[in-house]
Parts: sequence; structure tokens; C-alpha cells
Amino acid sequence: MANDRVTIVHENFRRRVAAQDFPQGAPPSGPLDDVTAASVFRTACLTRAMDRESRRMQAAGQGYYTIGPSGHEGMAAVAAALRPSDPAFLHYRDAAFQLQRAEQVPGQTAAWDMLLSYACSSEDPISGGRHKVLGSKALSIPPQTSTIASHLPKAVGAAYSLGLAKRCPPEHKAMPDDAIVYCSFGDASVNHSTAQGAFNTAQWTSYQHVPLPLLFVCEDNGIGISTKTPRGWVKASFEHRPGLKYFECDGLDIYDTFRVAQEAAEYVRTRRKPAFLHVRTIRLYGHAGADVALAYLPRQEVEAEEAQDPLLHMARQLAEAEVLEPAEALAIYDGEAQRVERIAQEAVTRPRLENAQQVMASLVPPPRECAPTNGPDPATRAEVFGPDMKAMEKPQPMGKIINMALTDLMLDHEEIVMMGEDIGRKGGNYGITQRLSSRFGRARVIDTLLDEQAILGLAIGMAQNGFIPLPEIQFLAYLHNAEDQLRGEAATLPFFSDGQFTNPMVVRISGLGYQKGFGGHFHNDNSIAVLRDIPGLILACPSNGRDAAMMLRECVRLAREEQRLVVFLEPIALYPMRDLHEAGDGGWMTTYPAPGETIALGEVGVAGDGEDLAIVTFANGAYLASQALPLLAEKGVNARVIDIRWLSPLPTEGIVAALKSCKAALVVDETRRTGGVAEALMALLEENTDLPHARLTAEDSFIPTGPAYAATMPSRDSIVDAALTLAGGAK
Amino acid sequence: MTTAVVICPGRGTYNAAELGYLSRHFPDAALLADFDAQREAAGQDTLTALDGAERFAMGKHTRGDNASGLIFAASYGDFLSIDSEGIEVVAVTGNSMGWYTTLACGGALSAEDGFRVANTMGTLMQAALIGGQAIYPWMGEDWVADMARKAELLALIAEIGAREEAELYLSIDLGGMLVVAGDETGLKAFEERVEPVQGRFPMRLGNHAAFHTPMQEPVAAQGRAALPRELFGQPALPLVDGHGRIWWPGASDTAALYDYTLGAQVTQSYSLTRALTVAAREFAPDLFIIAGPGTTLGGAVAQSLITANWRGMASKADFRARQHEQPLLVAMGMAEQRSLATG
Repeated sequence: MANDRVTIVHENFRRRVAAQDFPQGAPPSGPLDDVTAASVFRTACLTRAMDRESRRMQAAGQGYYTIGPSGHEGMAAVAAALRPSDPAFLHYRDAAFQLQRAEQVPGQTAAWDMLLSYACSSEDPISGGRHKVLGSKALSIPPQTSTIASHLPKAVGAAYSLGLAKRCPPEHKAMPDDAIVYCSFGDASVNHSTAQGAFNTAQWTSYQHVPLPLLFVCEDNGIGISTKTPRGWVKASFEHRPGLKYFECDGLDIYDTFRVAQEAAEYVRTRRKPAFLHVRTIRLYGHAGADVALAYLPRQEVEAEEAQDPLLHMARQLAEAEVLEPAEALAIYDGEAQRVERIAQEAVTRPRLENAQQVMASLVPPPRECAPTNGPDPATRAEVFGPDMKAMEKPQPMGKIINMALTDLMLDHEEIVMMGEDIGRKGGNYGITQRLSSRFGRARVIDTLLDEQAILGLAIGMAQNGFIPLPEIQFLAYLHNAEDQLRGEAATLPFFSDGQFTNPMVVRISGLGYQKGFGGHFHNDNSIAVLRDIPGLILACPSNGRDAAMMLRECVRLAREEQRLVVFLEPIALYPMRDLHEAGDGGWMTTYPAPGETIALGEVGVAGDGEDLAIVTFANGAYLASQALPLLAEKGVNARVIDIRWLSPLPTEGIVAALKSCKAALVVDETRRTGGVAEALMALLEENTDLPHARLTAEDSFIPTGPAYAATMPSRDSIVDAALTLAGGAK
Repeated sequence: MTTAVVICPGRGTYNAAELGYLSRHFPDAALLADFDAQREAAGQDTLTALDGAERFAMGKHTRGDNASGLIFAASYGDFLSIDSEGIEVVAVTGNSMGWYTTLACGGALSAEDGFRVANTMGTLMQAALIGGQAIYPWMGEDWVADMARKAELLALIAEIGAREEAELYLSIDLGGMLVVAGDETGLKAFEERVEPVQGRFPMRLGNHAAFHTPMQEPVAAQGRAALPRELFGQPALPLVDGHGRIWWPGASDTAALYDYTLGAQVTQSYSLTRALTVAAREFAPDLFIIAGPGTTLGGAVAQSLITANWRGMASKADFRARQHEQPLLVAMGMAEQRSLATG
């Protein structure tokens, strides 16, 4: 039984302290004062008591989480060396950090709150009973779950945001100017590519002297579940990295830990540079409640580790420093255990979530008040746009119009920042962000390094400090190595914080197929399944310039006022599209809609008024279907095109209303047959209408380069064929 | 062993019915003599004389320079009378001037120094008598928490307080009631805006100043001049202050404790509601024991626990039912409950 070790460690502590039989270690020295040392010890005892209680609660069917902090109690000394307003992205073993930080902010009920969290009570003030997380709004601790190292990229983003927020404070700024960002993780997690990417981004940034006040903290207990970290690996790997200063301390020695943490924090705070604090810890009781360390470690090794119980080291040092007699230390240990037991008895009686509606209540964050903006005065706007003012009067392709819309949005809202590969000096691979850098400066249009996780992490972190990021993913296929930053991090933040923490943003992604013979799969990816099943995420996809500008405005409003996570998928092949039916007809260009004109979430577009058939589609499909309309008319089929515009959540009401009086519905979907949008649209039609319906989709294939670039996807002619088949059948 | 949080009352709890409380209950004659000696040296009536007076004199007994000492002594005496064999006090908290008593009960001040602090601050408050206080309920008589109503009243206080000609602040967040404090213009404006309820409210509190507001800055400064830092030591029990902060034994910064007691505690809002929420949730005691005279704090304590939804209580009826089943709250000032604390 894993829990036997809990009892053994507990009994060892009581016996050894009473006998003053302490493990050997360094004497207490350094700046940790007596009062803080005593406070750290009390927090450590509370933390241990919490861990023991969590296991009792689980055994009794009243608690649901046992990944414990035991062995990591020294992290309380790190918390004591920081300010409670320093945003802290915590490792899941950092209960001691959070409990000690609560001592620095009056009026906290930290033990009660954490026990509610173990009990998954809906009264848990951070997650509302959705998950055992560490986190607290009052303590500047955004919630983190157990995902490995996925919180590191956003810590980099939050640290980057501090400098810009000081110069250009956003309305909803959340972090003080002199804060440092704290981010902790385990020794196994440092190896994760997400973590390595975050370290690299921090170093890359710092290397070019861009301020990045970020303290990475590796809590090195030497083992990741059952796989040992090679001895000395973390130090060897981090000691000499460019742009990242290395500090190390012994987490079993709270005096050493406090001293070094204070030095590291001071370095980060004053130099505005990142540092890596390597803290030696141990792991007691295995990885989690169900994990039995004896199954993969020799007994002697487990016992040797237990003999180094950090609480024993603390009791020894506090006795040596004449802060607490061993008997007093024991009284605190027992007192905290009794206190936790009493609180837990009450906490387990508190209500829990009962139904889907309650669980889902925080998938969508609450709206927030935003000061009205009048936008720039006409002269300023004219100056910023320059010659583009004239261009606005004439029809333009979508790419140009998106650029205009971005310019207006950035003029209207100073808190908008953009980040991406080649978006600044180059103006984007397709020129969509041209001149934005010169118009708004490099601080607001950031050329990032080549790492999508870093781009999204930067956006998430900046959003948590009040900015409205518009990160750009250069090609849809590049999203996939980073999609967890949306799926596991950005989308879950309101959910796991009961709507208290948010990261509103509009992620711009260039994607979908039909680029004439250019790029192949990686530049023409037509799979968006990965974005469509993320709860709370809005996926918008325009098919023409006018829609794009108006939808982008709505997306920014949704982010800014409703704190939503939005993805704006831009069909690359339509960026430069000018003509619809024949060369020179200019049929797919539009004028730039006046600022203030928007398309609301859920509002669909309808072209044509034919009743024989509705072609339900989006993006390139809307373009090709529009080409097909006159050909169908020639064959006696009067059709209309319904551009659904919003791919998630699907605008069911809008689609059904637009189908009114139509006799049949053909779904045209350029994404793959399996997992593509058509699957959902077919279900929608089946569930909400009695219309005959069919679908024309892309094949389950990757996109080739060369002349066959469009061979696997719907074409004008295949749409005509499918429409005639369906309409014929329907007649 | 029964666990208990002790609550020390504030001003307004020693009234006619409490006359003679010290002679009836104070357990340590030598200590009372010490308190009396301190008062005599300051040219004040002794507690023994005040408590032994033939009649209760509103104008005299409720003055800050007299009431503070009486209430401190009566509460501290009760704390000493708690049955230490059957009851383990796990934390101490208090309301308003009850914070000074809390410091003494919890061992951060000696009994004598606690008395000195309470008596000095009461005397200084009375001498300055800056502004006044009024009390008004936000809960109905059923004690059901209507947080929107509370927010409305807080907004009204802020609105009046923001006026150039008026001063008005939240003085004490007192369970189901709000104690507001300010100058005459501010208090009048508040009284005119709120609907009279329960035949008593809004009610002015006689002989009270605008405690726990920035208007007391001069009094706080005088207090710091009169009372040295060295009086304050480590508490022996956890103390919960008017911001809901826990001051732990051995882990309290005594300089910060002094600064709070003679600074923010005097000049910023005091929240008994928060203090009790923290005391309940962080100590989960079997009992809440109100030490000292009077019966008026019990309602506010119960309302605070209801606001915190403690043990599932959401109304006066819930509280009564629980109290009937197994007392959660014991007021030592009530004869029929006193023995539950004294054993």
C-alpha cells in the first residue's frame, strides 16, 4: 500500500523530532529571519497535513486528487522570497508555495479553500469544483492542472507583457509594473519539448536584451513517475545557457533556499532578465496516491529518501537557530494536522457540481466592461493609412482588406498586439500585415522566433495582462505542433478558474487549400477538426474581403468585451482573388466596409435567391459555389449559396433560417470527408430540417503540390454535378 | 476536548444590565487592582468604582475613557474563566476595540499592557471624539443574506463619502449590519437616504466616534506616541484581525502587529464578518465563545457565520435549529450559557 509510506513518514517525523534524531545538514545561515522561518515551517506542516488529509479523503470517497506536495515543502521558502503580486504559474506539487503566499495577503482562507478543492466542492473558490488545481485570484496564481510543462510558454508571454504594459498600459492590466513572473515545474518536465521551447524563447529574447523578468524554477526530486532523471542532468543542461542565469539551492534547507531564491528574484527583478532556479527536493509517497514507489525502487532507496524528510531538516535548523524547540516544532506539526482534520470534516460536506450545466457554466468567460473608444480622429487615421485611404474607395482583394481592418482595429484599440513569424518587417508571407510594423511599432507587431508554441504562449501570457493579442500562425499545418496551447491552456483557463482568469485573443491562421500549384500539404492544409471540438473556442472563416473585415471586427469585440478565445481562419487562396467568373471581372473583390460595420457571431451570408437548392458552404467552397450558380441556372436549377462563416460553434439558427423555402441542401466542404465540417452540417440538416441533403467534400488525403493541387477537393464543376444530382432527385 | 474560537466584544456592550459584571465574574483580584491602579494614576475613576456604582449612568459608563476599560476587563476576565481542561481555545478574534482584548487574550500583549492599550485608545478617542457612528442592517429579520442589498448600501456609502461636503465610510462590517461612520453631514445624508427599518434603524451610537476611518488618523498618531512598540510580543494563540489576517504564534512580525493595531486597525474599516469567516473556515471550532459583557454581539456573530454559510446555515431559523441541537455559539454574558464555557 502506498499509503503505508504516508504513515511511516509521519511516525518517523514524530519519533525523530521527539528524540532529536535529525538528519545531518548545513547549519541555518543567511537572511531568513526567525519569524519568516517559523512561518515557513508552519506552512510546511500545513502542506504535509493537507497531503495526508487528501489521501484519507480519497480513501473515504470524499476526495479526488492525491498528487502530493510532500517532499517539496521547502518551496514555501521560495514563496516567502517573492511578492504576492508576482504572477505565479505553479507546478502541481507547489501547495506549499501557495499556502505560504496566502500568509502574505490578509483575509485568506487558504486551508479551507484547498480542502474544498480536494473535495471538488462547487464552493472551491478557484475552479468552482471542476478540478483540483492550485490557483487563486487574490494570490496572483492562475490555475494550472497537471499538464506537463504546457504552462511555460505563457509564463514567457506574461513576463514579456510587463515591459509593454508599463509603457502602454492596457485597460485591463492585471500585473504590477515591477512584478516578476514565476514559473515552476518538475525535473522530468524540463525535458519536454514545450518546456525546452519556452526556455529557448526566453533565452532568445534575453540574448537580444529585450526585458523578460521571468524566474523559472525547477523542483528537482530526481524522478519522473518511475524514470529517474540522470544524476546531474538538470545542472549540466542549464548551468551555462546563454541569456539564462543559473541559480541552485537545496530545497531541504530553507535558509539556503530563501537566500538563493531572494538573490534570483532580485536578479530577475532588477535586471529584467530570466533566471533558472534549480531547487533540490525529494519526493515522498510516490508520484500519486495510486503509485507505489516500491514497485520500481529498492526499499533502501525509498527509506533513504524518507530519512531526508524536509520537515526533519526544518525542525533541526529551527532548533539550531533557536527559533523553535523540537517540542514546539512537534506541537505545530500536530496542531496543523488537527486543524486540517477539523476543516476537512466540514469541507467534505460542502456541495459538489451535479450536472452538465453547472460544469459548463465557465466554459464561456463572463463579459467585462470596456471603456468606449471613439477611435482616432480622421486626420490621424488618414495619416496612418496614407495612400491606402484612396485604395479604400475601390474594390480590393481580401488580403488587402484584412490589412485595412487590422489597421483600423489597432488604431481603435491600443491594447491589440500582434505576434508571428515574419509579420513585422516582411509584412507577412502574403503581405497581410504589411506596414503594420511601421504604423504601430515593433512592440505591437512582434516578429517572433520560429516556434508556434512560443507564439501562442506569448499571446496567452499577454492576454492575461490585459492585452488583446492577435497572434498569427503562418500556415494551418504549423498549428498542429502547438495546438495544445489553445486546447489545453487558453481554452481551459476560464473553465478551471470559474471565469476569473481569461486570455481573450484572436488567433489569425492562414490556411485551407487551392493555392495554385504552390506549397503542397504544409501550405494548404485543409483539416480543421482540431479546432472544432474545443469547448468555448469560436472559429470564424470568411470567404471574401468585406465579410473578413466585418467578421474580424466582431472577433476582436468578442475577445475584448466577452473575453472569448477566437480563431480567425483566413483562406490563403482567396487573399489575392479578384475575379469570379472570368478574367478581369473583379467579381470577388469588395470595397472596404466602413468602420463600425460588423457581422455578428452566428450571422450567415446568403448569395442568390434560388429555391431549388441551397449550397451550404464556406471559404473556397463559397467562392466555387458562387461560380457554379449561373451554370446551374443554365441547367434550370435556381440555387443560393449559404456561407456559414462561423465554423464553431455552427450557426444552426442562421443556417436553418437561410434554408427557408429551399427544396434541398448540398453541403460543399473543402475539409476532409472524415472529421470535416460536412459531418456536422449533415447532422445539423438531419436534425433540424426535412430537406433532402447530400455532401461534396474533400477526399481523405493530403494536398499534393503541382498541377493536381486541387484534385482532392471540390471544384466548380463537381459542385455543379452534385447539385444537379441532388436537385434532380429532389424535383 | 472541545475546540473554541473566542470572540472579544467591542464598544456598546457594557450597559445597565452589565453593572456589577466585574464584581460578579472577574476572577483575578490582583489583576483588577492593577487595572485600577493604572486608571488612578491617570486620574480616572477606577473600574471597581464604575462597575460598583449604584446606578448605570449612560453619560458616564458609555464614554470611551470608561467603557473601553470596563469592556476590556470584563472580556479578559471571562477569557481567564474559560474551562481550560475541557475547552481548547484554538484562536481568538474580536470586534473593533475587542481587538485590543484579543491581543491580550492571545498573549501578544500582557494583561496589563492590553489594558493600557485599550484604556489609552478609548481615552484618546473620547478626548478627540471625531465624527460619529450609525448602524443599519442589510439583512432582514430572518437573517438571510441578500448580498445585492449589502452591495447597494456599500455603494450608497461610497457615493455619499465621495461628496466634497461630506465624510462617510464603512466603519464596521458587522455580520448582518453595517456600521457607518463619518461627519454629521455624511451621517445625516445616509440616514435620510435609507428606509427606517425594524423600528430602530438607522440608529446613531451615542458617545461613539468615527472609529475605523481615516478621520481617526490624529488619534492613531497619538496612540503611537503614547504606546511603545516594545509592548507587543509574539502571540501564544492565533489571532484573527479585522482584515481577516491570522497572526500566528512565533510567526508574527511584532512590528507589523504594532503598526496594524495603531494604524490600519484604527483608520480602516474593520470586518467582524471577515474575521469570523476566517476563524470558522481556518479553525473549524466546535464552539464560538463570546467573552465579556452584553448580549448584542451574538446576533452579529451568527449573521457572520450565516454569511459564510458555515455548517450550511443560511438563516436565523437554521442558526436557531443548530443552536438548539448543539450550541455552536456561547455568550458568556448570558447567564444561561455561561456555564457552557466555564465548565
